[in-house]
Amino acid sequence: MATRRAPRPLVVLAVVACAITSIPLLYLVVRVGSSGLDELTMALGRQRIPQLLGNTVALATAVTISCVALGVPTAFLLTRTRLRATTLWVIVAALPLAIPSYLAAYGWLAAIPTMNGFIAAWFVLTLVCVPYITLPVAAALRVATSGLDDVARTLGYGPVRSFLLGTWPQIRPATLAGSLLVCLYVLSEFGAVALLRYPVLTTAINQAYGSSFNRNYAAILATVLVALAVLVVIAEQSARGRAKRRFTAGSGVVRHSVIRLGRWAPASYSLVAIVPLLAVGMPVGVLFYRLLQAETLRELNVTELLAATANTLALSIGGAVIAVVLALPIGVLAARYSGRIVRVIESVGYLALGLPGIVVGLSLVFFSLAVVPALYQTAIVLAFAYGVLFMPKAIGAIRSSLGQVPTSLEDVSRTLGYSTSQTWWLVTARVARPGILAGALLVAVTAMKELPATLLLRPTGTDTLAVELWSRTSASAYGAAAPYAAVLIVVAAIPAFFLSGARRAATEDTA
Amino acid sequence: MNTLSLSNVNVNLGESAVLRSVNLDVPPGSLVAIVGPSGCGKTTLLRTIAGLQRARSGDIRLGQRMLTTHGLHLAPEKRQIGWVPQDAALFPHLTVAENVAFGLGARGGAAGDSRSLRKRSHDARVTELLALVGLESLADRSPAQLSGGQAQRVALARALAVSPQLVLLDEPFAALDPVLRAELRIEVRALLRTQGVTGILVTHDQSEALSVADYVAVMNEGEILQFGTPPSVYGRPATPWVAHFVGDAVVLPGMWSHGSVSSALGNASSEWVSTLPAPADGVTVSLMVRPEQLVVAVGEDHGAPATVNSVSYTGHDAVLGLVLDDGTVCESRVTAAGLLSAGTRVTVQIAGTCLAYPV
Amino acid sequence: MVLGISGCSTSGQSEVTSGAPIASDGRLTIYVGRAEDLISPLIDQFTADTGIEVSARYAATPELNALLLEEGENTPAQVFLSQDAGALGSLRNSGLLTALPATLTSLIPAGFTSVDGTWLGVTGRARVIAYDSEKLTAAQVPDSVDELTSADWKGQVAFAPGNASMQSFVTALRVLEGEDAASAWVGGMSENSPVLTESNNATLDLVNAGTVKVGLINHYYWYEKATEIGASNMRAQLKFLPGDAGGIVNVTGAAIMTGSDGDPDALAFLEYLVSEKGQRYFVDTTYEYPLLPGIDAPAGLPSLSSLINAGLDLSDLDTLSQTQALLARYGLI
Repeated sequence: MATRRAPRPLVVLAVVACAITSIPLLYLVVRVGSSGLDELTMALGRQRIPQLLGNTVALATAVTISCVALGVPTAFLLTRTRLRATTLWVIVAALPLAIPSYLAAYGWLAAIPTMNGFIAAWFVLTLVCVPYITLPVAAALRVATSGLDDVARTLGYGPVRSFLLGTWPQIRPATLAGSLLVCLYVLSEFGAVALLRYPVLTTAINQAYGSSFNRNYAAILATVLVALAVLVVIAEQSARGRAKRRFTAGSGVVRHSVIRLGRWAPASYSLVAIVPLLAVGMPVGVLFYRLLQAETLRELNVTELLAATANTLALSIGGAVIAVVLALPIGVLAARYSGRIVRVIESVGYLALGLPGIVVGLSLVFFSLAVVPALYQTAIVLAFAYGVLFMPKAIGAIRSSLGQVPTSLEDVSRTLGYSTSQTWWLVTARVARPGILAGALLVAVTAMKELPATLLLRPTGTDTLAVELWSRTSASAYGAAAPYAAVLIVVAAIPAFFLSGARRAATEDTA
Repeated sequence: MNTLSLSNVNVNLGESAVLRSVNLDVPPGSLVAIVGPSGCGKTTLLRTIAGLQRARSGDIRLGQRMLTTHGLHLAPEKRQIGWVPQDAALFPHLTVAENVAFGLGARGGAAGDSRSLRKRSHDARVTELLALVGLESLADRSPAQLSGGQAQRVALARALAVSPQLVLLDEPFAALDPVLRAELRIEVRALLRTQGVTGILVTHDQSEALSVADYVAVMNEGEILQFGTPPSVYGRPATPWVAHFVGDAVVLPGMWSHGSVSSALGNASSEWVSTLPAPADGVTVSLMVRPEQLVVAVGEDHGAPATVNSVSYTGHDAVLGLVLDDGTVCESRVTAAGLLSAGTRVTVQIAGTCLAYPV
Repeated sequence: MVLGISGCSTSGQSEVTSGAPIASDGRLTIYVGRAEDLISPLIDQFTADTGIEVSARYAATPELNALLLEEGENTPAQVFLSQDAGALGSLRNSGLLTALPATLTSLIPAGFTSVDGTWLGVTGRARVIAYDSEKLTAAQVPDSVDELTSADWKGQVAFAPGNASMQSFVTALRVLEGEDAASAWVGGMSENSPVLTESNNATLDLVNAGTVKVGLINHYYWYEKATEIGASNMRAQLKFLPGDAGGIVNVTGAAIMTGSDGDPDALAFLEYLVSEKGQRYFVDTTYEYPLLPGIDAPAGLPSLSSLINAGLDLSDLDTLSQTQALLARYGLI
């Protein structure tokens, strides 16, 4: 493909989107800038910092590896083998997305109170993050061909090696994109690791806000997190390489071979079931147990519950729309053009994902009061916060689905009389629509569970399910919390269901 | 009707010059085949004509309209040139009928037409075109359900729906099997002729070009080496390279002498092909003969002695690989009746006139 | 819900400005750093009694503190109800609080409220030791936190080093027993394999599950949990430490933001919090200590006077930062 230079309007749009999502980074710069050099050295020189840094890196690395180790085989089983009731398993595989990590940690801790430290944090975070790998890899496997595997087999390579030679390069970009999300998520994660008593950088950040009331110190630590995030993003980009996947709009269904399970069946079903069972089954089970145990089963205020549900849905949908709007120019740029500017724009877009919610929330307080004070503490700013926070999740899905739209389709449309923008709307966006929608759903499901930024930015009196859940659990009112947790899981399961691509899987011809 | 003409078109991709000073004149209503090896720039040429690629310099004119010139690059959507790419590129989210109708939506209808009137005229056009390509029964299918050949037909119908003056086809038959390919190219040829549409077809298959086109342009490394009717390109190739590319060729060194060349195959009357003047006697030249001009005989005295090295049998004829006694390698095309086995001792003679080129 | 900011901007230290009194507009915006379940009934009572409509924003005190600092003078909040004094102190130091009238601040005894009248103590929470009643009897639990650094308690003591009341306990230790003794205690604890948690609740959960033998928490959390699962089901039991630095009383407090200086609605709310009705609400609902003299402490709790709070300004942030430096030196935060 000829190296085309990106059209200027597109680059401008992408830079604007990037700048908007860099608001938290700007905020950090302002805060760090206002602390003196001594404060900086003192902050970074604290005895605990190296330990926290090491823990953070270790946890992020370990969780990413285990998610890939579990996610890729699961995706393979879901798309390339004869599983009974595939549709059901596909939905089940996506369900852990509906569980907030703090809820998962809470559930496990209630079952095994001695659970703590690195292994516990690794375990729980893996459980909730595996779908980030499973879903995109499964989608990639559906359009990948196993023809290359067959060639490798005839050349004498065994089945595993053939898979690595033939199919793996086709799913590698999806795996890397998912790994990036997992890694950044673990960097920013606080609730679960706090409950499981594994100290990481976010622990210190939250403590800084919570007791020293020292925002500058917190910002300095958050900057360390950003530095880590930069390294991770760069690593993923170089691993992804310059190869752009171009698929032809050929006629006919992509054919790949489907494997019989035979004696591997019990092990396969176990693998596919185990993560969702542990991730969803345990917290839900514990919630019900607590519900039964609660002596004072407080009355459920149904209006409050419904209001919270409506708020959760409205805000997360609003956030998803904003996230997609921001992610589109960046995704288009990254899908079609290469070059250093493109890479930088894409990288910066991802960085905010590595920050804890409280930092992003405060940055938007700062920003909205400075720029649009009339909108402060309105739903708009909160939806905007979700968009800014989670836009990076949409970039990957948008980039890969746009990248799979053959340019020949666009050529044809132009020659038939449609201008560039008409072509973009009628053809490119339309064909890439499933991928764009997937990006939106991923943002929505994450926004539903969000807590720290919501607490800071929500309009006074507007609560989401996550906020109601938190306010009850922080007062040990588990019985009252249970219905909110249950509804949150159910509501978040809806986008998870759509993300699983179950409907597509059901109609697929896997012969 | 209108002609397409290119003057001195130069196209660069990045740093490298892909098209160098290309000149081309396409007569109206004809089908021109552009042949060349991979990487010679033929697809780029097509894309430049369509407006999908900008030229660095040069003029492109379609009939009365200037498409590309210094300071002007008309956007593809304004050129009214049909485009049929290699992979058919059917819109996966539309049915076959909707694919064919796609371009009609951009043109709209005559002023004052109501929406339903426009829709009916579009539907009529779609039905007409699908009938022309024999696919009316598949109007509601989705592209994923079509075979390769069917997809290409739909792509062509789609391009023709908007009544363009010129249709560009980028290796449209490359992905099809030979039998289908042969059928389809005849159909396409006929369709373009009845619709009165000029066509430019890009292919790397020279036999396809020779069989279906009115004119053939041979390209290599960004330049058009020869433009002419198939017989003229085959019968009088401009250079030995063209001779090798279009058909098989046997090229030997020989000595020029008064309109004949003497070589390992003996003396043969020869025509000088070059813009340079004919050389003096005794100068070494390159001699080109077609394999079908080499007559092979067994048990005769005339001609150069040789041994049959290999036999390539295609059913309707065979190509015998020959090694002359002095080591020169050549090949002869014979009919099935003249089939010989490897190792046979034969004599080889040139029949008819051959062509001589500068070395 | 944006409040029109009035023209006067006063620093926290000045007197109430003279001039035309601000009229009541019948509405109040408060930021509440405490659980909604517990405070909203009190607020409803307040509205019923006074007719003032309240818009309350609930979140954790640290987040609200950060929020208020970030909002600065543009905050929509008029009143801040805080779960600890440190947050109030940090706001005072940033000049965001307005001085309260002496008639109000004099209601609460010294030691349980601000020294300069910038915030008002509302309720008290005693630091206690929660112990696993299945493994220990009350007698086996030390009377002083000093003993917890011994080898008997290795790996069996849980606390939240980042928690504000924990840190104010360490501050009290420094003031009451001296820097060296405090340093020795922190050092000793850090080498005794302490189990570090993020919150008092998490600490209590560990004791209740039998994972550790003792935990350092505020008494209030035990009662909160007991309300949920039943007092008879609580495996953890409380031991108060009268006379020991480990048993000091932390206070929750309220303050008025600078922009609402002199606002009668805000003053009315603070008055309500420390009125008899308000104080009794806390006694009955949250089991916290009332700070208004004359109200009885919740049943079963040692009297307030027996727990030290001598001369401590709980919100003094300068000492707080030294406490944090101490904890950081031993790698606890």
